[in-house]
Amino acid sequence: NYLRISPFSSFLFSLAPWIPVVGLEIHAQISSNSKLFSGSQVQFAAPPNSLVSFFDASLPGTLPVLNRRCVEAAVMTGLALNCSINKKSLFDRKHYFYADLPAGYQITQQRVPIAVNGSLSYSLCIDNKMSQMVTKTVRIKQIQLEQDSGKSLHDDTRCQTLVDLNRAGVGLMEVVMEPDMCCGEEAAAAVRELQLILQTLGSSQAVMAEGQLRVDANVSVHHPGEPYGVRTEVKNINSIRFLAKAVDYEIQRQIEELENGGTILNETRAFDSKLGCTVPMRDKEGKQDYRFMPEPNLPPLILYDTKSLPANVNHQQVINIDWIQERLPDLPSVKREKLVEQYGILPEHSFTLLNEDGLAEFFESVVKQTQMKPKKVIGWILNDLLSYLKQHSLTVKERSV
Amino acid sequence: MLRASLRQVSTALKEGRVTPTELCQRCLALIKSTKFLNAYITVAEETALKQAEESEERYKRGQPLGILDGIPIAVKDNFNTAGIETTCASNMLKGYISPYNATVVQKLLDHGAVLLGKTNLDEFAMGSGSTDGVFGPVRNPWSYSKQYKEKSVPKSHSEDEESGWVITGGSSGGSAAAVSSFTCFAALGSDTGGSTRNPAAHCGVVGLKPTYGLISRHGLIPLVNSMDVPGILTRCVDDAAVLLGSLAGHDPKDSTTIQDDFKPFELPNLTDVSKLSIGIPKEYHAPGLSSEILALWSKAADLFKNAGAKVVEVSLPHTRYSIVCYHVLCTAEVASNMARFDGLEYGHRSDMKDSTESMYAATRREGFNDVVRGRILSGNYFLLKQNYEKYFVKAQKVRRLIANDFVKVFRSGVDVLLTPTTLSDAAPYMEFIQEDNRTRSAQDDILTQAANMAGLPAINVPTALSERGLPVGLQFIGRSFQEKQLLTVAKWFEKQVQFPVIQLEEVKRHDSGVFQHQKSASFS
Repeated sequence: NYLRISPFSSFLFSLAPWIPVVGLEIHAQISSNSKLFSGSQVQFAAPPNSLVSFFDASLPGTLPVLNRRCVEAAVMTGLALNCSINKKSLFDRKHYFYADLPAGYQITQQRVPIAVNGSLSYSLCIDNKMSQMVTKTVRIKQIQLEQDSGKSLHDDTRCQTLVDLNRAGVGLMEVVMEPDMCCGEEAAAAVRELQLILQTLGSSQAVMAEGQLRVDANVSVHHPGEPYGVRTEVKNINSIRFLAKAVDYEIQRQIEELENGGTILNETRAFDSKLGCTVPMRDKEGKQDYRFMPEPNLPPLILYDTKSLPANVNHQQVINIDWIQERLPDLPSVKREKLVEQYGILPEHSFTLLNEDGLAEFFESVVKQTQMKPKKVIGWILNDLLSYLKQHSLTVKERSV
Repeated sequence: MLRASLRQVSTALKEGRVTPTELCQRCLALIKSTKFLNAYITVAEETALKQAEESEERYKRGQPLGILDGIPIAVKDNFNTAGIETTCASNMLKGYISPYNATVVQKLLDHGAVLLGKTNLDEFAMGSGSTDGVFGPVRNPWSYSKQYKEKSVPKSHSEDEESGWVITGGSSGGSAAAVSSFTCFAALGSDTGGSTRNPAAHCGVVGLKPTYGLISRHGLIPLVNSMDVPGILTRCVDDAAVLLGSLAGHDPKDSTTIQDDFKPFELPNLTDVSKLSIGIPKEYHAPGLSSEILALWSKAADLFKNAGAKVVEVSLPHTRYSIVCYHVLCTAEVASNMARFDGLEYGHRSDMKDSTESMYAATRREGFNDVVRGRILSGNYFLLKQNYEKYFVKAQKVRRLIANDFVKVFRSGVDVLLTPTTLSDAAPYMEFIQEDNRTRSAQDDILTQAANMAGLPAINVPTALSERGLPVGLQFIGRSFQEKQLLTVAKWFEKQVQFPVIQLEEVKRHDSGVFQHQKSASFS
């Protein structure tokens, strides 16, 4: 469905179909009281530089101390995404100079991340018809724990940069999805499902508008039977809707470029939401060598399961993977199945119910309290309630039942 | 009084023979009259006197905080001290006042110690002479001792003390000189490749590098995180044990410290060494080892043998690769650790305003000396993607082999290893600066850095005076976390050798000593 014939393209290429390949790198901010390696509070929109510990400002002589809650969040997320959890993972330093990276390096997990080899199933409808849903799976390469950077604000008129370190050191989970998707819609559906999972787990609030979920898309195109094409990385995507747009635009741009006899550069591009297109980012230093090295101040992160748990151990000092597994909440896919089974509603309606925070619970309590038929309640929700809420810019949680 | 050991002066304080304030004032006066040594970068006179006063109150109430209460100490200027400048002897941090205390500093203060000031070092502790800091070189107090003056014959009449003075070794030279010249009773140094033991050897004091992970590094401005350890410099082995007892143990702010509690210990007076096995690693017979030190080393081995200990030659076959691997690992971590000094949050910032990048570059060029910049450059080279396996990973593998060498030797039944600490006695400054820092460090760290590579505890015990009248020390290396055994052996050895006390004019004038424990017998 991506066969495009450009007026300038040579006839040699014009009939060969293009296969787009999309992979995603997603940064999810961990929902925790304090940062990944320091005791400073995590809070959105606090006054600038009000949540900065000596470590966050990288004062000389300070050392990282790993936040247990962040590790647990990553383990939960890994389990929910069917990953194998590494019982031993390592931290590394990734070096680059930037004003909002006070240490000159980011602590991340480059060599051995906390979780690997998972998968995420997501559904999307064919041709925008809710009744025709297909389920697809994207492989999860890995989940790694790492520090967030601060924020730089450039004041071009006064020629100065202001730095806010409130975000510096907040825990991130970087979820790397294999290039198993082929269009913007798929990418958007996968991210939406991930977002729901993170919110269900409580491991991240995953609000894109607040930067708690940041998505970079790797896009390339190639002909069948040929190796993958040169890929570009698209950044600056701040909503799921824009993700779909950005990916589709980039696919189309690459196809047109190639069909016009051009080449694709391995570059970073930014999505301009106003213009609806991607533009090359000014990459001043060109290719960076991050000079990775092991973080010497953090011992290897060791996790246990019930089998490997040492006998005389302080339970506050260890993390038991099995224990976390047993306490995982129902994931969205399970919740949907239960709704379909219990209330006899259509599968696509279960998606709608889970798509908005609190709507499924609202549905269940209406059914329970009114004793009406679930299908009727669904009809009312879909036709009346949601449009009412939308009209008045309300959320279901704000309405009292 | 100033020449007393920490334990002795503590007793004097308890008995009221001297007050903390008197003691503090005497030390401050002696610091002033030995200013030419350049041992201190900052003298915190005001806060020291205030701390002494508070200590005095506690003694009056009969509630001193322990053996360290009221004891004047000094701290190397790469430990953070709240409210007192912390410079690392670098333009980069000149004028930098940290908002927090390093854990070790906090612990000393919590025990009632009086912090006299911050001692001089090589810039960011990179060096083995204490000659490469922005505040100038430290002079070895022994240069001005009766012992040295008597033995060194000036080459010509025009040549005076000015050109004949010898270096302290480094990089904790200021701390070693401070303890050696009696301006404080103990000092903190840091030890990454020998930075505590080397100057201790040259200045005739005890220098202890504890096991990696035994003492918190929180607040120590790092050189090499995986090898740095706070070091202890004292007059005698017993005093080192006292300091260790107050500093060691888990710190929630340093994830690499041991989890178990540390039990402070008193050192027994060993009378029977027949159950001891002393290992003599043959690889420490290194090129450049002076015949004088070699003779002293074998004499020390004989001393143990004659007293009934088992003395065995052992081999640590990978020792010869240690210094080059140390260089790779050290510079790589330096490159990383120094990245934070960009002039934005703290420290020096260049006036260069063309762009952020040019500001970074100018800040770092102005802030760091050649030695620091050189190490950053080579460290970044080793960390480049195409070099990482070839240098960094390989060096790490060899590091493991070096550590295993020690494990094997200790497993074979050896309790403690005996080696020289330095290749020779202290070089005159004029001679020392003929070679560059890199060459010097490679030579001077040769006998000490392997203990850092393996994380083992090691101690310099002053042993004798050289023909030139300068101190020479020997090193004991112990098993991981077996400080008690190591120090017990060191204490026995210390007692046998009766290292002479330095005779300094300045000290005589200041010290109307209550007890002068002049030692006459000399070992060599």
